[in-house]
Amino acid sequence: MSTQAGLPPMVQAAGVSKWFGDLVAVSDVSFSIGAGVTALLGPNGAGKSTMLRMMCGLAKPSNGSVTVLGKEPRSDVAVLGRIGMAPQQESLLDHLSGQEFVELAANLHHLQRPAESARQAIQTVELDPDDPRRLSTYSKGMRQRIKLAQAIVHDPLVIALDEPLTGLDPRQRREMISLFHRLGSEGKCVIVSSHVLDEVERFGSRVLVMAQGRLAAEGDFREIRNLMDDRPLRISIRTDQPRELAIALLDRGVISGCRLEGTDGVVVDTNDAAAFRRAVAPAARDQDASLRELRPLDDDLESVFRYLVTQ
Amino acid sequence: MNLAVYRVILRTQLSPARLLVLAGLSGVAILLAFTARASDDTVEVATRTIANFGINIFAAFIALALGSAALGNLVEDRTLVYLWLRPVSRHSIATAAMAAVVTVVVPILVVVMTVAAVITGVGELVAATAVATALAAFAYSGIFVALGLRFKRSLLIGLGYIAIWELLMSRLGDWFARLSIRSYPMSILSDATDVSMRLADRSTLASYIVPLAVGLAGLLYTSWSLTRTEID
Repeated sequence: MSTQAGLPPMVQAAGVSKWFGDLVAVSDVSFSIGAGVTALLGPNGAGKSTMLRMMCGLAKPSNGSVTVLGKEPRSDVAVLGRIGMAPQQESLLDHLSGQEFVELAANLHHLQRPAESARQAIQTVELDPDDPRRLSTYSKGMRQRIKLAQAIVHDPLVIALDEPLTGLDPRQRREMISLFHRLGSEGKCVIVSSHVLDEVERFGSRVLVMAQGRLAAEGDFREIRNLMDDRPLRISIRTDQPRELAIALLDRGVISGCRLEGTDGVVVDTNDAAAFRRAVAPAARDQDASLRELRPLDDDLESVFRYLVTQ
Repeated sequence: MNLAVYRVILRTQLSPARLLVLAGLSGVAILLAFTARASDDTVEVATRTIANFGINIFAAFIALALGSAALGNLVEDRTLVYLWLRPVSRHSIATAAMAAVVTVVVPILVVVMTVAAVITGVGELVAATAVATALAAFAYSGIFVALGLRFKRSLLIGLGYIAIWELLMSRLGDWFARLSIRSYPMSILSDATDVSMRLADRSTLASYIVPLAVGLAGLLYTSWSLTRTEID
């Protein structure tokens, strides 16, 4: 993956593998990441969290190496001062208040004014630093935001966020994504993991796709999206004129095969999802057919990633 | 030692349930002291009471309950990550955890058991009780803080260790007794009152040095373990 021209990568993975007994969580993954927002996309169990944990020194690679700002975070405690992480788990130090929790992080990062820095970080994630309640009383969305606050309180250069949008409402998601972009535009390396394709689309243009522990694809989001659109796709169409619509789509060359199902259904195969999407409505209009339903039969994220892994 | 980590762990030490157990065990200690005072052979009964209850049970179990939870709870509820992710040495985290446990366990044990020794009316037992319980608490704390970090079911493993090794195996012979922590503080009590007790025949020097060494070894193992452990 390209980084900013002339600048060394901020995070670099070289042939990284991680296994737990017989289970291979990450297999021979290499990439470089520079400043800006990078999405780490993959289904649950793809190895994203393990990869992030290795980037932050929480786990040691079984093979290969991970460096952050040129240092190995596992063995070099000092580099942890430049890394901020919001782990995936919901658990927090529940006996503390939000301010105490973030202030603890600020203290451990040896900040000059820990209380002030903590207040600022908490306000950045739109929480109230004067809220005296313990973290045990926080909602899921509040917990996500306080995790983010402790990750950014020391103004780190590399920020790793593991599924940070889970539990947030749409407005909070927008705010958080805009915060990620702001941090990225300030020259920080923001790595955000997610298993939701549409969510990643809004993170930015750079994507690392992980599946089954491997790096399945990397690059610009649009390239990845195109690659996903290029895969063979089976779609079920409900219409009042299935035969005519199927013929029209075959004539347009956007489907490679079809099978009628009952009196109002047809299942089509396409190798170009984008072209199919563009063609289906005009074809239905030309045939005076009414489209009742379009349903991809294998469009779950797992199947998308499986396809990418085979490419 | 890192003071911020120390304060965080210290705040988790005294839960209402643990306070209740502490109060219960303290009550039993005082009750046993009055019983010893009323006995015919006060010196012997008092010495055995302080040894058998104060060291073998009170010190061991309270150090287990608090020590295994110090880092163990953070591992179990997956919050150790919030201490580990910071640019602080692993040794300072281990020291802070050990200090938080010792800050609670040692004063409580020493105060309660010394009061119990005073109640028995055996003067020569008072200072020895204070020293012996403090050393026992320190040694057990070192072991159980390390155990809490290393094993998920540390409380059960610790109970097994106390019951099987400290209370049973140590009786099998001198070699086993030397590997039992309780034999050293018991020897301090035995030296003070001249009451002969099984296991309590360690040298005076060893009685003081070994518990300190065990506690420090536990601390060093915890530090080493923190640098190697994978944080969830």
